[in-house]
Amino acid sequence: MKVAHVVVIAIGAASHVIASSESPRPRGVGPEFGKHYKSAQSFKCINRPEIEIGKSQVNDDYCDCPDGSDEPGTAACAHLNNTLLALPGYYCKNKGHAPSYVPVSYVNDGACDHDLCCDGSDEWAGVGDKCSDRCAEIGKAWRKQNEQRQKALTNAAKRRKELLVDAERRKKEVEDRIKTLKTEVTGAEVKVEALEKEFADIERREKAKVVKAPKEGGKIGVLVSLAKGRTQELRSSLERVKAERDDAQTRLKELEDMLTQFHTDYNPNFNDEGVKRAVKAWEDYAARDKTPVQDVVNRDLTEILKDDGENGLDWAEFEGEHKESDIDVLYKFEEYLPASLRDWVDAKLRDLRIILIENGILPDPATAGGEESKAVVDARSALDAARNTLSSRNSDITNHEADLTKDYGPDGIFRALKDQCISADSGEYEYELCWMGNTAQKSKKGHGNTSLGTFTRFDTMVVDEDVPADGRGLGSGERIVMHYENGQHCWNGPARSSVIVMACAEKDEIWKVVEAEKCTYRYEVGTAAVCTDNGKNGAAAQKKDEL
Amino acid sequence: MVKHENFKTCDQSGFCKRNRLYADNAEVSSWTSPYELDPRTITFKNGELSGIILKSIEKRSEKVRLPITISFLESGTARVTVDEEKRQKGDIVLRHDSKARKERYNEAGAWALVGGLAPSAGAALSGEAKQGTTSVKYGPAGTFEAVIGHAPFRIEFKRDGVTQIQLNERGLLNMEHWRPKVDKAAAPEAKEGEALPAPAPPKDENEVDESTWWEESFGGNTDTKPRGPESIGLDISFPGYDHVYGIPEHASSLSLKTTRGGDGNYKEPYRLYNSDVFEYELDSPMTLYGAIPFMQAHRKDSTVGVFWLNAAETWVDIVKSKTAANKLSLGIAGTSSTQTHWISESGLIDVFVFLGPTPKDVVHSYGELTGYTQLPQEFAIAHHQCRWNYVTDEDVIDVNKKFNKHNIPMDVLWLDIEYTEYKKYFTWDPLTFDDPENMHKQVAKSGRKMVTIIDPHIKIADGYHVVEELKKKQFGVKNKDGDIYEGHCWPGQSHWVDAFNPLTINWWKGLFQYANFKGTGPNTFIWNDMNEPSVFNGPETTMPKDNLHHGNWEHRDVHNLNGMTFHNATYQALLSRSKAEEKSPRRPFVLTRAFYSGSQRSSAMWTGDNLAEWPALAASIPMVLNQGISGYPFAGADVGGFFGNPSKELLTRWYQAGAFYPFFRAHAHIDTRRREPYLAGDPYMGIITDALRLRYALLPTWYTAFHEASVTGAPIVRPNFYVHPEDEAGFAIDDQMYLADTGLLTKPVVTEGAESVDIYLGDDKVYYDYFDYSIYKGKGSHTIKAPLDKITLLMQEGHIFPRRDRQRRSSALMKFDPYTLVVVLGPDGKGQGELYIDDGESFDYESGAYIHRKFIFENGILRSEDIGKKGKLTGQYVKKMDAVRVERVIVVGGPGEWKGKSKVKVSREGKEVKNVEMKFVEGKSGKGSEVVVRDPNCKIGEGWSISFV
Repeated sequence: MKVAHVVVIAIGAASHVIASSESPRPRGVGPEFGKHYKSAQSFKCINRPEIEIGKSQVNDDYCDCPDGSDEPGTAACAHLNNTLLALPGYYCKNKGHAPSYVPVSYVNDGACDHDLCCDGSDEWAGVGDKCSDRCAEIGKAWRKQNEQRQKALTNAAKRRKELLVDAERRKKEVEDRIKTLKTEVTGAEVKVEALEKEFADIERREKAKVVKAPKEGGKIGVLVSLAKGRTQELRSSLERVKAERDDAQTRLKELEDMLTQFHTDYNPNFNDEGVKRAVKAWEDYAARDKTPVQDVVNRDLTEILKDDGENGLDWAEFEGEHKESDIDVLYKFEEYLPASLRDWVDAKLRDLRIILIENGILPDPATAGGEESKAVVDARSALDAARNTLSSRNSDITNHEADLTKDYGPDGIFRALKDQCISADSGEYEYELCWMGNTAQKSKKGHGNTSLGTFTRFDTMVVDEDVPADGRGLGSGERIVMHYENGQHCWNGPARSSVIVMACAEKDEIWKVVEAEKCTYRYEVGTAAVCTDNGKNGAAAQKKDEL
Repeated sequence: MVKHENFKTCDQSGFCKRNRLYADNAEVSSWTSPYELDPRTITFKNGELSGIILKSIEKRSEKVRLPITISFLESGTARVTVDEEKRQKGDIVLRHDSKARKERYNEAGAWALVGGLAPSAGAALSGEAKQGTTSVKYGPAGTFEAVIGHAPFRIEFKRDGVTQIQLNERGLLNMEHWRPKVDKAAAPEAKEGEALPAPAPPKDENEVDESTWWEESFGGNTDTKPRGPESIGLDISFPGYDHVYGIPEHASSLSLKTTRGGDGNYKEPYRLYNSDVFEYELDSPMTLYGAIPFMQAHRKDSTVGVFWLNAAETWVDIVKSKTAANKLSLGIAGTSSTQTHWISESGLIDVFVFLGPTPKDVVHSYGELTGYTQLPQEFAIAHHQCRWNYVTDEDVIDVNKKFNKHNIPMDVLWLDIEYTEYKKYFTWDPLTFDDPENMHKQVAKSGRKMVTIIDPHIKIADGYHVVEELKKKQFGVKNKDGDIYEGHCWPGQSHWVDAFNPLTINWWKGLFQYANFKGTGPNTFIWNDMNEPSVFNGPETTMPKDNLHHGNWEHRDVHNLNGMTFHNATYQALLSRSKAEEKSPRRPFVLTRAFYSGSQRSSAMWTGDNLAEWPALAASIPMVLNQGISGYPFAGADVGGFFGNPSKELLTRWYQAGAFYPFFRAHAHIDTRRREPYLAGDPYMGIITDALRLRYALLPTWYTAFHEASVTGAPIVRPNFYVHPEDEAGFAIDDQMYLADTGLLTKPVVTEGAESVDIYLGDDKVYYDYFDYSIYKGKGSHTIKAPLDKITLLMQEGHIFPRRDRQRRSSALMKFDPYTLVVVLGPDGKGQGELYIDDGESFDYESGAYIHRKFIFENGILRSEDIGKKGKLTGQYVKKMDAVRVERVIVVGGPGEWKGKSKVKVSREGKEVKNVEMKFVEGKSGKGSEVVVRDPNCKIGEGWSISFV
């Protein structure tokens, strides 16, 4: 059996027991164990009843039972391993307050532990300072605070309900939005379909038209076309390379700035050869005659990247100088035919041409470098617009649906707190917590802000903490936690992360932040979002939800 | 990894190189030491022989006069001091208009020595001296003898007619006398040569290398050496001795290795130059944070020692020779000898010679001179919990609570440098430690203390009262020009407190007054770190050697003393933090990193910044043992390892080993994960708690051991050779520890995944497993099963030791708990042991406020005898302890005829007799029997007896 540190028994029940039975229970025995000590002659060790000793050996300050049960009121069995003990500790009656158990090792050790045993009875032998009975005073204060705490918890439960309603409303909003979006998608789909058809028709129609022949022709034409394509290709890759260069320059600048900062900030006197070498190398580097990126080069690049037209290169001029194309021959062929036959041939040819084009035998004038007709362009852009609308609506739906399936904690309650932030002072920093968002540390000494992570997931954790009088504490048991990860990287260490351990409270409030280890932060936070309906901590409830 | 480039090798340290070369030259057979004791100058008076040694210099007829005194002390110790006359008289010229003193440094004794200097009344010149020698008989019943050879000068120390120690036997004595610098180019002929053997070798071949005489540069710092070369060297030989120990602090084996190369040996001498060695390496003669130039040599049934009282940078070369016995003389083994060569940069030759004959005698004699270890407050020998850093006062309170919540005993919580505001000592960071008083109060509720760090570097900052006073009153160390020295350390640019100045000490005392160091209280104690001194931008991470201290002594002269002067000042400060405490002080507790001979009087030490790795755990055992036999037993290593994150297994094993460090502190670097025992989880937390509880149960035994150390200088944990000085096979064993004279022997597990350990028994007595009474018997190695939850701990027959079994939160809360006595018997049915108790905090014990009992078991009767001396406060204290009793007696290995017995007879103060229950459990399958006597209810402060017959 694991012995709790201090077990506070429900106050109402206990005072009743004390009032009704002034039993001859030995010192340190709680009412629930009284039955073991009834016999006037002998005592059987509670967990080892085969060991029977004389009654005089109970509380004679010598440990006889391997489970310590013969010495409930002394520290004689304080050498035993906790796991062996039959009793939860020394029972303090604490008349005027709640009875409690303290470990037997606290009995007669000379220290007054009024916060655990307010009647001071654990120091009955008077080994050290006299420990007075302070239960009246402590009990009164406790009751007053407890009243407030109860009130706060009732309020917390109420607030939780409000949060739930709010969360539900927000969820509903999302669902509604999805519904709306879905309707819009249906509309958009219809529209896209219509436009696709329209576009196809227009395009077909346009293809059939005798248009101005494509401009290609002859070897020069081919060469020009190739040259044009090649130039275009070179220009775009130059463009890309320039972008990469600019990016690299920015990064280099960033690194140089960092090193410059390092060079001014490092401790020049710390005998770290590694650092010294790095600094020396930097100084050499910085002193080297660097070829700065000249503006001239940049200007040239900008010029080069301009359109060919602006560079005085008019492709059209060269493209214009062409021989007859194959298609032109086709058209010209008609001219040698009689008029009647020509109309017939003309129609046939038109069909043939479409067939040839559609089968890829003849180049499509629309794509073969020829200008598209306005009608085709317009139809295309109308179609593109409709398609964009459709895909954007679809991605909105995906996002919202993802949001609906995202874990917002028990009953999705944290939806209500999303995008809200709270903060608290701790030491030289102000710590910030944005629900479902980021955590951050803001220096009061002006070192700037540091990200302590971004929300990744919910979890639970078993905690065992004292609750201070004001109720701002985690208490004991399973608590809901949020993990925030991948914050700013630590020098020589991992990325910063924080874990938010939450307990039921009326106000959303950061109680305490500790950097338990370098770069790992623990927030202790009160919020109504983790309460149960009756103002208790709701981690267990969440677990059930998960099952 | 240690940065070797930051620290000098012998070759890079001019004087070391010169003296090694000198030694190499002396190897040639034609070598004659150029030092002669002028017989006409010898006088002998009051146990002291004086005279003048004349040093011949090549090509000069004038000889250098070196006054020598050899003091024979009442304790049986002899002291040989050699100075330089010209410098005594101040008849030299310093270069660079240096303000430094002209004498050789002669105040090391003023700091290191506190007694044992009474001259021997019985010492007398012997009439039997051979031609060319002077002989003095001294020591117990005149069994010691010093035979002083005149030309060349040398001394042989004999005990019972057998030579034990020889000085200058190899002719390596070298005192670099003062000489003016002569410009080589201008007058090469006039150059004054270093002493060279006659006949001098051809000049062009052996041109004296002056490159390290006048200036030396290292790591960008140049030492101006205003007095030029001034080193001293001396060979000290131990004929017939194969093992030498001591000269801490090194991460090396207990039995020192040889240092001039060869397989498995070191190439560098052991170095003593207190330094902040970042990530120091193991198995190395490299210098570390502290220096105790005390060495002992041991052979079967004989121990002798030397103490080289010099505070300058020192190197010690060790070589061993096996003189094979004449092959024809069968049966006579060859003798081993150890030869050492001591080299210091400046100062006097000042050597103390101890002739034993036991390790106990040697350590005791050394303690008579340098003082015994302070009797610490009881909390100081309990479990300390440290971390760089507990980050806020609330953090401290939280850690304190968690120890209670998990029922893990702990006495002290520590604060490293981060508690201060911008590393300004005597301040609290207002953002993180805004209520230090409340923090102290919360911690005190469980009987606990706090230790805060105070270092010797004082931040240069406007408005910081400490630095302003330091500057105004000129209490800082000065540079070679006499201006206050400025260097870099944790706080940035800083000055260094010069605790060599008595006025500085007075000022320092004021700073610790509760009224001045706000936020501290009676349960605040102090940690002095970085006092080598560590200077981040200094040569070898310390101060330039030409810096000047109080009295214008160069830093070169006093370097190894610096740390001790600082923690001494802190010790004094803790005696007088309020008017009331000045009248009735409590024992201070100061932890120091740097130390010197004498540090034991006012501080505990730890082995500095170790690594959280298995080999570092292993290395801690010989280091702690070495501290013990070197007169400074209050020692420990950072449990868990400072740098890095130990595995849970390593952490657990380290607690099990740490439970047997005299100083038991867990500590961790700021970049490590938290590792307080309650975070270790199952099963580690429980196992660590068991180790801590074992330490706490045995606190009465530990405290008794500390008391013994405080009056005899005996080590607290002891190596095999100390306990079994006759056991040749065990002289090099340094991985197991005996706890004082209790017969408790532990062999910590220091390897990963170990399921068993081999423990070495130095005699044929019966040893019982502490926990299950399994019997191990027979000299030699025994394998003991050692799964993770097992501490290898044996009890040797013939001892009795006290325990306090009731587990409390802290030692302070155990003060009035009853005792359990454990009697460990062998076939002869005899045992004895001691218990020393006092209030554990005040100096009242000096007025007799203590109980000191001897427990003796013989002829079937256990009795308690008073071995204390009555004082003014004895009665009062015994009365205060009236209710404290022996609640249990456990007899292990009692005779079989006790089977069936159920009663023992208890008499108190020889009168009242009553029967008390006992229970006999027979030892089965290789185990010892156990008797438990149920509550004999004997008062601990009274005489009583318990009869088992």
